[in-house]
Amino acid sequence: MKLAFLFPGQGSQKPALLNDLSTCTAVENVLETATASLNESVFNFHSKESLASTKAVQLSLLTAGVATFKAFEMEGVTPDFVAGHSVGAFSAAVAAGVIEFKDALKIVKLRGELMEQAYPEGYGMGVVLGIERNKLQSLIADHFDAKYPVYMANQNAPDQLTISGALPGIQEVIDDAREKGARSSSMLNVRTPSHCPLLASVSHDLTEALHDITIHRPVIPYAGNRKARLLYDPIDIRLDLAESVSSAVQWHDASTVLYEKGARLFIEMPPGTVLSRLAAKAFPDARVLSVEESGFDDCQFVAMRERLK
Amino acid sequence: METTKQVVNQRKTWTTRLDAKKKRMDSVKHLVDGMLIPTEHIVDAMEKLIRPGDRVVLEGNNQKQASFLSEALAQTNPKNLFDLHMIISSISRPEHLDLFERGIAKKVDFSYAGPQSLRMAQMLEDKQLTMGEIHTYIELYGRLFIDLIPSVALVAADKADRDGNLYTGPNTEETPTLVEAAAFRDGIVIVQVNELTDELPRVDIPGSWIDYIVVADKSYQLEPLFTRDPRHITDIQILQAMMVIRGIYEKHQVQSLNHGIGYNTAAIELLLPTYAESLGLKGKICRHWALNPHPTLIPAIESGWIDSVHCFGGEVGMENYIAARRDVFFTGRDGSLRSNRTLSQMAGQYAVDLFIGSTLQMDLDGNSSTVTRGRLAGYGGAPNMGHNPGGRRHSTPAWLNMMTSEDPLARGKKLVVQVVETFQAGNKPVFVESLDAIDVKKDSALATAPVMIYGDDVTHVVTEEGIAYLYKADSMEKRREAIAAVAGVTPVGLRHDSKKTDDLRREGLVALPEDLHILRADAKRSLLAAKNVEEIVEWSDGLYEPPVKFRSW
Repeated sequence: MKLAFLFPGQGSQKPALLNDLSTCTAVENVLETATASLNESVFNFHSKESLASTKAVQLSLLTAGVATFKAFEMEGVTPDFVAGHSVGAFSAAVAAGVIEFKDALKIVKLRGELMEQAYPEGYGMGVVLGIERNKLQSLIADHFDAKYPVYMANQNAPDQLTISGALPGIQEVIDDAREKGARSSSMLNVRTPSHCPLLASVSHDLTEALHDITIHRPVIPYAGNRKARLLYDPIDIRLDLAESVSSAVQWHDASTVLYEKGARLFIEMPPGTVLSRLAAKAFPDARVLSVEESGFDDCQFVAMRERLK
Repeated sequence: METTKQVVNQRKTWTTRLDAKKKRMDSVKHLVDGMLIPTEHIVDAMEKLIRPGDRVVLEGNNQKQASFLSEALAQTNPKNLFDLHMIISSISRPEHLDLFERGIAKKVDFSYAGPQSLRMAQMLEDKQLTMGEIHTYIELYGRLFIDLIPSVALVAADKADRDGNLYTGPNTEETPTLVEAAAFRDGIVIVQVNELTDELPRVDIPGSWIDYIVVADKSYQLEPLFTRDPRHITDIQILQAMMVIRGIYEKHQVQSLNHGIGYNTAAIELLLPTYAESLGLKGKICRHWALNPHPTLIPAIESGWIDSVHCFGGEVGMENYIAARRDVFFTGRDGSLRSNRTLSQMAGQYAVDLFIGSTLQMDLDGNSSTVTRGRLAGYGGAPNMGHNPGGRRHSTPAWLNMMTSEDPLARGKKLVVQVVETFQAGNKPVFVESLDAIDVKKDSALATAPVMIYGDDVTHVVTEEGIAYLYKADSMEKRREAIAAVAGVTPVGLRHDSKKTDDLRREGLVALPEDLHILRADAKRSLLAAKNVEEIVEWSDGLYEPPVKFRSW
C-alpha cells in the first residue's frame, strides 16, 4: 500500500502549534536549525499574537511540517509521495530533498513578507461551497470590475472553491453565489489575495530568490500545486514553488493524482485536519489519518503496518 | 498475366510473422525452461520477446488484472523497449500509465480508464501518450481481429500445467479472446499464473495457444467491484425500483436483461422476491440475465425467480454459492463459474430485452454522459449494451412492444432505460443544457464527444418524479417535453410548464408514481429482501462469503 504525506497551508495554524510536535531529537534538530537560521527563536512566531502575521504563520507551518516529516523518517517511515498546499509545498519540497530546510526558511520568510506588503488593505479571499468550477467561473466573469478585481483561486474539492481579490468584489460574488445555489459562501480570514494574478510580482521576486539556492532531484515524487502533475525535475518544482502564490492551487487534482498513482494511505502533517478531511471525502476507500487527530505514534504504527502489505 | 506472376514469385516467404516469432523465442532460450519463464527472469525475457513498436495487448478487465506482467513491463528499460502500442480494455493500475511516463509505450487504444482518468487527461494534454480510439468492449475485442492484431498478449490465469493448459476458474473474463487474437496470427502469448500444478480442475484455454507461462510472485489483482451493500440503498431508490418493476418490466413483459452496478438496480434485484412477488410477476419477468454475479441477486435466485445468468466475470466471495447453484449459472465440470466477457457483452447487446443503467448527466434530448471535465474515463460496456442493435431480427414480447407504427416493415426495439435522481451528490443537476462531454471533446481533441448513451437509443427515463416513455414520442419536441416533465427542479425541469404534464400523462408519455398505483409512502427499506450484507449471506445459506470490507459482524 502506497503512502502519501500531505502538508497543510495557511488556515491550519493554531496558537502554540510547535508545542504539539512529538518530542524527539529529529524534531529538536529542526527547531534548532530554524532558530539559528532565523536569528531568533522559532517559538516567537507561533503565539496567538504573532500568528496575525502571514510571515509568522508560514514559518510556523513550514517548521511543523518538516519537523514531523523528519520524526517519521527517523522512525523508518518515508512516504512514496509528498504534496503540500500553498506554503505546505515548501515543506513537501524539503521532504522530497529538493531544497534544504535552511533555504526553505529563507524563501518562506521572504514569501510571507512580500505577501504582507503586496496589498496591505482591502484585499482577501472568500470560499464558496456547493457549486462547481465552471459555474463559479461564469459568476466571477459576470461581476468582474477592474476597480475591484476577483479571481478564481484554489480548487480544494470539486465543490469547495476559493476566490481571491478585492474585498468588495469578493462580497458581490459571494452574495450572488448564494443566490445561485451555493450551499454556503463566505469571506475567509485571510488578508492577502493569494493564488491569483494580483500576486504576480511576488512570484517574480520568489523566482529570483529561488535561483540563488541549490536544488536537487527529488528523492520522493512531489505533486505540484499549479498543474497537479507529479514532478520529477527539480527545475519544474522550483517553478511550481515560485508560481504557486499567484496561481490557483489545484489541490483536488493534485491529491487525485496521488490516489491514481496508488496512494491508499494518506497522512496529514500537523497542524490541523483540513487536508485529511478533504482526502477522506474524495477517496472513501483510502485510509486517511492526521497527526493532529490520531497522534504521531498511531500514524507511525499504521504506516509501518500498511507498508508491509 | 506474365507480369502478375513475376510479382507473385518475387515474394520469398509467407511466414514472416512466424519467422519473427521463432527468432524472438530463440533469443530467450537461455532464460527459459521450456514454456516456463522463471519468475526472476520475466523482465529480461520481456525485453527480448517484445520489440520496440510492438502492439501489445495487456489484460485489464474490470475486476481481474494481469498485475504481475504489467509491473514487469513497467520495469523494462526504455532504451531497449520503446514506442509500444498498448491495447488495454480497462486502464486501472498506476503502471498502465507509468509505461507512457517512462517512454516504454507511446500509443494507447482502450475502453475504460475510470481509475486513471485524471492522469489519462493530463498525459494526453502533456503529449506523453498518443490517443488511439476509445471503444466499447465489444468494439475493442473486434478490432483485435481486424486492424489491431496484437504482436504480444500478456494475460492472467489461476493455474497452468507444464503443457501450458490454463485454468482461469470463475474469472475467465477476456482472457480467451486476447489469447486467440495473438495465438492464431503468430503473436507471442505470455501468461502469468498464480500456481503451476500437475492437474487442472478443468482446461479453460488449451496449452497449444500459449507460448510462455510465468508464476507470479503475487496472485493477480482481483477487485470485488459488483458488490453493493444494501445498507446504502435509499427510499428514493426503492421508489424508483418500484416504478421500474411496474411501469417498465411488468408493462412490457421484460424477460431478459442486463443491470448496471448502481444502488438503484441493486434495489430492483432486492424487490423481486418481495414487491414484485406480491404483484404476481414471478415467472413473467426477469428470468434471463447477462450480468456479473451480483450478491444482491441471491434472494431472487433463492426465491426461484431466475432461470439463467451468464457472466462477464466473477465476483469475489460468490464462488461457492455459484458452484452450488449450477442450474442457474454457467459452470464447468469442476463446478466453478465460467465467465466470458466477450460473449456476455455480445449477449447483452443482441440477446436481451432491456438494458438499465445510470448516468451523471443527461441533456434535453436524452443524450447522457458520465464524463467530467478534466477527466478521460472512456466507456466500458454500457454503450454496447445500452443501444438498440440494428442487426437484431429475433422478436420477443418486450421488443415487439416498442413498435409504435402500423408500417408493414415496422420492427421492435431494445429497451434502453436510464434511471437517475434529478440531482447528484454535491447539488449538481443531472439534467443539463449541454453535456460536459462536449467540453471534453474540445479539451482532449477527440474525434467525437464521449457520449455514453445516445438519446435516440433511450426508450425510458426514470427519475424520482416519474417515468418518461420516450419511445412513444413522435417528435423531438414531445421527447423533450417528456424528459423535462420528470426533470424535477433542475434548470431543465423548471422550464417545463407543469400543465403540460397532465396532457403527457393522458397520452401515456409520462407516468407518475400514482399513475402506476404506487404510493410514495410505501417506498421503504423494509421492502428490501435483504437490508444488509449479513442478510444476503443468510439467504445464501452461508455459501456467499463476502470480502472483509463488506463484513460488519
